[in-house]
Amino acid sequence: MNYSSAKPKKLFLNCIISAMKSIVPKGIFLTSLFLIISGTAFSNDCYTINGESLEDNTNTRPFVCFPHDEHNENAGLDDNCARCHHVYTDGQLMPDESSEDSSCSECHMSQEKPNDLDLIVRYHKLCRSCHLEEKKGPITCGECHKKP
Amino acid sequence: MTESNTVTPVKEIDDKGILKGVEQLTPEKIESTILQVLKDETGAKLKVYVDTCVHCAMCSEGCHFFLSMDRDPKYSPAAKVKQTLWEIIKKKGKVSPEFIKNAAVVAFTQCNLCKRCAMYCPFGIDIAYVISVMRRICHKLGVVPLYIQDTAHSHSVSMNQMWVKDDEWIDTLMWQEEEAQEDIENLRIPLDKEGADIFYSVIGPEPKFRAQLIYQAAVIMNAAGENWTMPSMPGWDNSDMCMYIGDYEMMERLKKEHFECAANLRAKRIVMGECGHAFRSVYDMGNRALGWRMPPVEVVHAIEYYNELFENKKIKIKHKFDRPVTLHDPCNIVRGRGLHEMSRNVVRATCETFIEMTPNREHNYCCSAGGGVINCGPPFKNARVASGKEKAQQLLAAKAKGAEVVIAPCHNCHGGLEDIIHSFGVDMELKFLGDIIYEILDLPEKEE
Amino acid sequence: MYSHYEFVTGPFAWMAFLIFIFGSIYRFYSLYKLARKKDGAVFEYMDLKFALRSIGHWLTPFGSRSMKLNPSMTVVTFLFHISLFLVPIFVFGHVVLWKENFDISWFTLPNIVADIMTLIVICSCAFFLWRRIKLPEVRYLTTVGDYVILLIVAAPFITGFWAYHQFPGFAAITIIHIISGEIMLIAIPFTKLFHMFTFPFTRGYIGSEFGGIRMAKDW
Ligand code: SF4
Ligand code: SF4
Repeated sequence: MNYSSAKPKKLFLNCIISAMKSIVPKGIFLTSLFLIISGTAFSNDCYTINGESLEDNTNTRPFVCFPHDEHNENAGLDDNCARCHHVYTDGQLMPDESSEDSSCSECHMSQEKPNDLDLIVRYHKLCRSCHLEEKKGPITCGECHKKP
Repeated sequence: MTESNTVTPVKEIDDKGILKGVEQLTPEKIESTILQVLKDETGAKLKVYVDTCVHCAMCSEGCHFFLSMDRDPKYSPAAKVKQTLWEIIKKKGKVSPEFIKNAAVVAFTQCNLCKRCAMYCPFGIDIAYVISVMRRICHKLGVVPLYIQDTAHSHSVSMNQMWVKDDEWIDTLMWQEEEAQEDIENLRIPLDKEGADIFYSVIGPEPKFRAQLIYQAAVIMNAAGENWTMPSMPGWDNSDMCMYIGDYEMMERLKKEHFECAANLRAKRIVMGECGHAFRSVYDMGNRALGWRMPPVEVVHAIEYYNELFENKKIKIKHKFDRPVTLHDPCNIVRGRGLHEMSRNVVRATCETFIEMTPNREHNYCCSAGGGVINCGPPFKNARVASGKEKAQQLLAAKAKGAEVVIAPCHNCHGGLEDIIHSFGVDMELKFLGDIIYEILDLPEKEE
Repeated sequence: MYSHYEFVTGPFAWMAFLIFIFGSIYRFYSLYKLARKKDGAVFEYMDLKFALRSIGHWLTPFGSRSMKLNPSMTVVTFLFHISLFLVPIFVFGHVVLWKENFDISWFTLPNIVADIMTLIVICSCAFFLWRRIKLPEVRYLTTVGDYVILLIVAAPFITGFWAYHQFPGFAAITIIHIISGEIMLIAIPFTKLFHMFTFPFTRGYIGSEFGGIRMAKDW
């Protein structure tokens, strides 16, 4: 959210601006942001992103809270489930199909030797590519993987 | 921060060789000479050494100059490179005559080329090599301390270090032969004998100042019943000050003469007296300069030879040397040839009580005289002796453990240690291994 | 911010890696060529056995007298170099990036270990800085470049620590972290950092000389 104003100016200037913004205590900052921008009450609907498969790993970054409904509302994705819940058949994106009913790991960890990382990088790529495209939303590690 | 500001000029020196040499320098001459040496005579080795050095000063602990001069940073090995080749390379040879003057003093009188620091630098950077390059530049610029330059001149005129004339040499040998006949009747110093097992060579200063060493050697050779010879012609001197001033052309001539002299007599091998720098010149630098990976004629240092004598029981001793001794490990034959265990064998075979000085073997402190430093003569004597402080403490510690005699199987070390022993009131007696062996040698009864 | 992110993780990252790889290869190649031309003897005396013997001693903590005489430096140097190597290669956040971009992955360090190692690197840099300023023999040798290098090395770890712990401004710091890492890569072939590649050769050579010709230890 705090990136919406960031037009590509001078790199360090921007970095400093966003650094300043982050100095505001996190809770207050987020809450007020939601109140102001979306006008809805703060709802804590974290989606566990196939949490079990990553639970044992002590090397990974903190758990990501993904507020599904809010995200979609803010991003104007209400009707476009397939933007994330896509379906590929034989490597081809099926534009008219969506996959909300199945879990990500069904496809993305179906290889012979499933690896946590395979799933992890899918999320990273999916989220970040869109955020970069839209120039909105978090892109660096800590912005999603918030320290508890 | 330019580095030239941090290079402190040396105290006024009184050396005609350097002062007169510097007077004749012009910036153009300095630059072209330096570029010639850097471009034609050095390569990746120098570059890697200078570029790799991370300025960590771990080498400092390796250098007795640094330790003796109360850890004055100017004397750390890398600091000597800073005062010489760093700056030269950085400025691409555009340095002042004043800079060359300081660099010459550093290169000739503040480094014994002992390579101890290479064992303390984590990268094994061979500072001695870098300093040799500086000396080479100085030589080509004609900025060399007078006294050592004189010995080099002597080498090029007479093929020996001490202006010994050909007839004087033969005279000296005959005189020593006569002296030695006091010990062994009919003793001979065989001259120019073809096909001998041993070609015995010495350094120029032996006939000049320490002629008794020649008769001691003759007595030992005779007692061992060796088939040996000494040359009557130039080539008898295995010493090499040209190597130390960076006159490598002359070094090559000298070594060639020496090896050829032995080869012409079809000698099986060369045995040399107790000298370190001469060993370096035949085993390390001279042979390589001539293109020989290893010396073309086998070269055996006196220590190795003595060790053989005792191992093969070729000589007998009356009794062991009874005063407690300690042993100095000379750089050129210990870090240069690993003879430290052999010298200990010999000491144990000849002496009753042996007390190690610490550190020892490869880590022994230098005598501060080697690398041609003592040959730079009186103008630098005080500084040289002062840099032996650490050595003096090491000797005193050995003395405190009971040692009375220091054995130093090297001429340079003898010179250096003698000065240190006197100046620091160490008060120990100094001997060559040959002195000890000669003293206790069991000679056949002389018929009266 | 978005375009900066794309730049530092895209073209600039490629450039950094390419300069690092090809710059290092070039440095090596030119040194090799020069050595072949001018220092033939080096190849003559190089001896694998003695080179490895020497390198082995110097890669063993307190394996040389020099290290024993400088215990603090020895401990710091070893911890520093080990951490300096392991963290960037094995920290989870980086392995994920390899996986994302090249679909390769390997062992990762537990977070707490990577965190401690990062602190080790930062503290070691502080120690080296202290040494440079405080010890006369080190200060005498120190040039501006030495401080710059210390900064180049410390920066990715300071910013990495910052970003990982999400101290204020971490998002921007993450981008600076990426840039500082890339600067370090670029610096390796052209600065004293190249010592990481020359070490086996300088040590190996003196080890060969001492072992094969001089019959002496060099540690
Ligand atoms: S005197 Fe020996 S230890 Fe000191 S710098 Fe010269 S070679 Fe190194
Ligand atoms: S120990 Fe080696 S790297 Fe460190 S300053 Fe001395 S020569 Fe340079």
